[in-house]
Amino acid sequence: MAATVRQEPQEKERGTPLVVETRGLTKRYGRIAAVESLDLTVRRGEVYGFLGPNGAGKTTTLRMLLGLIRPTSGDARVLGEKPGSPAGLGKVGALVESPAFYPYLSGQDNLRVMARYSGVRSPRIAEVLERVELSGRAKDKFRKYSLGMKQRLGVAAALLKDPDLLVLDEPTNGLDPKGMADMRDLIRRLGKGDRTVLLSSHLLGEVEQICDRVGVISKGSLVAEGSVAELRGKQGLLVRAEPTEEAAQIAEKLVGVEEVAELGGALRLTTDPERAAEINAKLVSAGLRVSELRPAGQSLEEAFLELTGGETV
Amino acid sequence: MLASFGAELLKIRKRPATWILALVWFILIVLFGYLFTYSFAANPPDRPEDQPPQVQQQEEAFNEQILNGLLPENLLENLFANGVFSLGAAIVLILGAMAAGSEYSWGTMKTSLTQRPGRLGMLSGKALALALFIVLFVLLGLAAGAMSSYTVALLEDASINWPPLEELAKAAGVGVLTFGAWGFLGFALGMLFRGTALAIGLGLAWALAVENTIALLPIESDWWESFRRLTLGENTSSVGSIFGSPNPSFSIPETLVEPERAAITLGLYVAVFAVVSLVLLLRRDVT
Ligand SMILES: Nc1ncnc2c1ncn2[C@@H]1O[C@H](COP(=O)(O)OP(=O)(O)OP(=O)(O)O)[C@@H](O)[C@H]1O
Ligand SMILES: [Mg+2]
Repeated sequence: MAATVRQEPQEKERGTPLVVETRGLTKRYGRIAAVESLDLTVRRGEVYGFLGPNGAGKTTTLRMLLGLIRPTSGDARVLGEKPGSPAGLGKVGALVESPAFYPYLSGQDNLRVMARYSGVRSPRIAEVLERVELSGRAKDKFRKYSLGMKQRLGVAAALLKDPDLLVLDEPTNGLDPKGMADMRDLIRRLGKGDRTVLLSSHLLGEVEQICDRVGVISKGSLVAEGSVAELRGKQGLLVRAEPTEEAAQIAEKLVGVEEVAELGGALRLTTDPERAAEINAKLVSAGLRVSELRPAGQSLEEAFLELTGGETV
Repeated sequence: MLASFGAELLKIRKRPATWILALVWFILIVLFGYLFTYSFAANPPDRPEDQPPQVQQQEEAFNEQILNGLLPENLLENLFANGVFSLGAAIVLILGAMAAGSEYSWGTMKTSLTQRPGRLGMLSGKALALALFIVLFVLLGLAAGAMSSYTVALLEDASINWPPLEELAKAAGVGVLTFGAWGFLGFALGMLFRGTALAIGLGLAWALAVENTIALLPIESDWWESFRRLTLGENTSSVGSIFGSPNPSFSIPETLVEPERAAITLGLYVAVFAVVSLVLLLRRDVT
C-alpha cells in the first residue's frame, strides 16, 4: 500500500504518457508466428486503432496485454504494470473477441458476478447498464440476448471499473449498421477526456471515424503507426516526364531527396500540390517532356492494402 | 479471494444444474436407500402353500431385520455400509467438473480473469465455493436418509431413536472426505480437458467402470494391491465401513485399506486435485 502512495505523485510529475508499451512482443504457436517483435505504444487519453486483416494477430496481442496468454518473448507494460497483474487489471476494462458470459444468468446477474470479481460496488451495475442502453432487458437471461445485446453487455462489463484503459476487440463485429453507428458513438464518447481506448478493428472506416492514432498490423508485425492523416500519406504530386532520371534529379533539388520516390516509371513527390505549375515550368525549361502531372493523394484504403501486402479484408 | 468466493458462490447458486443434481441426489437416496428395500420387505412375494413353517418363520425374521435396518437408529449403517452414499460420488464429480469445465465451454474464463481476480484468487474462490456445496450435498444426503427412515418408522409404528450426535458428526466428516475427493477429481478433470463433456464422461467411466474392474481383476501381487489401496473406490468403501452393517445377517466385507489411512488418503486426494487444477490454470494460456 505504502509503495503505491509514494509512487503516484512521482508518476504525475513525470507525466508518464505511455499507457501501453510493448517491446519485441512475440507469440509463436509452433511454426506460426501469431505476433512478431511487436513494438506498440499507446499514449494516455488517446483512442488508438489497432488495425489489421483477419488473422493478423490483433486478438493475440490484446490477450497478451491482458495477461491471458504469455508471450514467447519480449515484454509489455500496461499502465506501468506487468500484463495480467491484479494491480494493472484493476484499471483496465476489456472485451476480447466475442462477449462470453454465463448463459443461465441474467445480464444483471452476470454483471454482479463480474463486479464481485473486481470489487466494484453494486450501484455501478445499473449505471453501466444504462450507459449501454440495456436497462430494459437487464433481467433477461444472457442466453436470450441478441448478438447486439451480448456485445453491449460486454462493453458494460468492461466499463464496470470505470477503467483508465478500455480494450475493445472488434466491438462492432456482427452488428447491424445502426448498431455499429451506436457502438462507434459510444466509443467516441467513452474516449473523451483522460480515458485511453485501445480498439482493434479490421474496418478502415471505423478506425478513421473514431481513432486519433492507428497502428497497422499485418502477419504479426506492426507495419505502420501514426495518425490517420499520416497513414493516408502526405499530399503529393505524380509526375511522368522523360527522361525519368533527369526529372528525378530536378525534382530532388526542388522538394528534397527524401520526398521523391519512383513509382512504376513515374515519380511521386511528397509536396504541396499547389507547386504543380512551378515544378512543371522547371521540368519543361530543362528540356524534359512532361506527359502527366497531377495531385496524388492516397486513400487510407490504398495505404492499408499497400501496407498489409494487398490482403483483402 | 473472498471477492472471488462471492462471485463463484453467485454462479453456482444460481445455476439450475446445481439444483437438478441436488434433486437427483435426494431421489437416489430415497429410492435406492429406502423405497426399493422397503417395498420388498414390507410386501414379501407370495409363498408357496406347501412351505414348511420353519422356512416361513426364517423368512419373516429376515424381513424383520431388513425393515429394522431402515429405521432411524440404523440411519448411518444403512446409508454408508450399503454403498448408497457413494452413489453421490458420481453426482459431486459432475458438480466439480461443471464448476471448472464450464468456464472453458462458455469462454467465460477470459471474461472473469480480465475483471482482476488473478488466477490464484479465482481458483481459490472457485474451490471454496465447490467445497461449500460439497458440504451442502453431504448434509442433503443425510437429511434425505433421515426423512426416509423417519417415514419408515411412522409406517411401521416403530420407535424413533436417532444415532448419537457424535456419530452423525463422524458421518458428515466421512461424507465430506469422500465427496471432496470425488468432487475435486471432477474439478481437476474439468481444468485438464478445458470443458465439461470429456471431464464428466471420463470421470464417470473411471468411477463406475474402471474402478470396479480393477477391484475384480484376479491379479495377485504386491504392487497390484498397493495400487488398489490407492484407488478412490477402495478408500471410499473403507471410510464408509466404520458404521457397521445395518443388518446383523450381513457382515461388511473386510476392506483393503484401514479406515484411518483411507481418511488421510482421501484428504490428500482433495489437496492433490486442487493443486493440479491450480498448476494447470497458472501455466496454460487462456484462449
Ligand atoms: N491458440 C492458437 N493456436 C494456434 N494458432 C493460433 C492460436 N490463436 C491464434 N492463432 C493464430 O495466430 C494468428 C493470429 O490470430 P489472431 O486471432 O490474433 O488474429 P486477429 O488479428 O485477431 O484476426 P481476426 O480479425 O480474424 O479476429 C492466426 O494465424 C491464428 O491462426
Ligand atoms: Mg481477433
